[in-house]
Amino acid sequence: MTSATETGSVRTGAVGIDPAIESFLYLEARLADEARYSEWEALWDDDGLYWVPMSPDADPNTDLSYVYDNRRRIRSRVAQLNTGSRHSQTPPSMMRRLLTNLELLDRDDDTVTVGSNFVLYEYRYDMSVWAGRVIHRVRTTDPERGPRLVAKTVHLVNAGAPLPTMAFLL
Amino acid sequence: MTEVETRPAPRRNGVRDLVRPDRVHGSVYTDPEVFELELERIYRQGWVFVAHESEVPEPGDYVTRRIGREPMIVSRGRDGKVHVLANRCAHRGNRLCNAERGNSTTFRCPYHGWTFKNDGALVAVPMRTGYSEEFLARRSELGLAPAPRVDEYGGFVFASLSPDGISLREHLGRATGAIDRLLALSPTGGLDLRAGWMKHRHFSNWKMVIENNVDGYHALFTHQSVYEAVREAKVSHVPSKVEVYVRDLGDGHSEIDYLPEYSRLDEEFVWFGRAPREKLPRYVAAMEEAHGPEDTHKAFVVGPPHTMIFPNLFLAEMNIMFVEPLAPGETIAYTTPALIPGMDELNTRMLRRTEGAMGPAGFLIADDGEIGARNQLGLAARSPEWLMLARGATTDVHEDSGTVNHDKSSETPQRGLWQHWASVLDAPEGVNR
Repeated sequence: MTSATETGSVRTGAVGIDPAIESFLYLEARLADEARYSEWEALWDDDGLYWVPMSPDADPNTDLSYVYDNRRRIRSRVAQLNTGSRHSQTPPSMMRRLLTNLELLDRDDDTVTVGSNFVLYEYRYDMSVWAGRVIHRVRTTDPERGPRLVAKTVHLVNAGAPLPTMAFLL
Repeated sequence: MTEVETRPAPRRNGVRDLVRPDRVHGSVYTDPEVFELELERIYRQGWVFVAHESEVPEPGDYVTRRIGREPMIVSRGRDGKVHVLANRCAHRGNRLCNAERGNSTTFRCPYHGWTFKNDGALVAVPMRTGYSEEFLARRSELGLAPAPRVDEYGGFVFASLSPDGISLREHLGRATGAIDRLLALSPTGGLDLRAGWMKHRHFSNWKMVIENNVDGYHALFTHQSVYEAVREAKVSHVPSKVEVYVRDLGDGHSEIDYLPEYSRLDEEFVWFGRAPREKLPRYVAAMEEAHGPEDTHKAFVVGPPHTMIFPNLFLAEMNIMFVEPLAPGETIAYTTPALIPGMDELNTRMLRRTEGAMGPAGFLIADDGEIGARNQLGLAARSPEWLMLARGATTDVHEDSGTVNHDKSSETPQRGLWQHWASVLDAPEGVNR
């Protein structure tokens, strides 16, 4: 493994993050933005968990979350979006998000964990801005399948506020 | 932060003309004067759900809420009583408590240091030498303003900002049966509403939100994507295939009643993803211990209520929802699961079910939010003037339990709600419903 400084300085400035992982995160963001639901779902590993808590220190075992999707529910969410009659995303919102301030938070034999900030512009009836911190955990051990998403946690800046409908992929 | 504006007193003439037996005028959802009148007559003078006792279990516990536009503190005092107090410093009007929940024996205003006990009493005024003896003698009158009337049923705490009016029991009428039905699913008869409230901003009128909660007609269309892609409905939404009833309970309360269908099936937990007993051993044991095997079986078959308690509380099966009107076209819906104290195996499932169905990203309610927003957009067109609520009007049956229709897609609940709404808004001065 190359040192954090080498990787970061040459390619992207995201210190210690493998460029393939960084590209994977941008791909995930773009597929969500472009409502390419099935392609987005294909990024997930079999034990994936997509979590949008209601507060930064929430415990999903005792606290209600906005979204707490295991892999099976991720499949259901995508299937519902794919029907074309998920009214809250029919037509899909126009969206573009910026993923920035990438930091390597953790690495083990199997996975890397990357934290970043995001700003998401959503146009539906009006322009809405969503922002927050996102933690991606990506499995890297299967070179044939490429990186796989194991966990995505989205801490919305305004998680404590009454939120408008957000049926899109955050 | 929500802006608070002072507006002139609303006019009351003509409200009765906005509601007919089978239709309602479009302006009831859009007219700012109607909205002001509702805040005064329904949300200030009537009974409104404010909190559940389990949210403030210990002395000093508090949550902050609003009644209409007015910020309130719901606290449990050292005396063990639940207090509902205006969240406004008696000195200069500062909003005193700015957390959603917590525990504190006193609230100290950061502006000039006036300090109040959590039962509202003023206990400290700094630099008292600047006040006259007469003023200090009247200090006991300068507490936080309590809601003039507070009462509870089954742990659900309601308040009214008017000193006069009907009792809570009179207001609840037949709706107490729905609360009883929910509590029958708890071995202790208690609930735990502390998982956190999901807050969902709806861009529609508050009545559109509560009508939708008891609309047995929309599911096949609004929620088609769930049944198509995820799972079949728990029982059919085709009226001719099921014995699901709708009911106007009177006093503005209404429900969709699955009991006849569940009883016909005589199957447990149809309402809970048809979970087998083996998945919930501790809960089943606690229920049988508390209620005996027969009543337990009955409770598991019958399941929870799907009942709208006027004006703002919705017993949404194993979820509790309350609504807060912000503006004619804007409403907040708060939702939390009705957890059963100590039943972790059940409660974790309940959390996941609530997240799946409810709130801004829920498989169901996100679409209700979208449809509601389009409703409000459509109502900008002032023709035709009326919205139709005629479905099932000729097949309603009057029974002891209320006005019932055996076709769940009938608009019986909404008709009942509107008749009550008109009677409250149109009541003579000084008569509070």
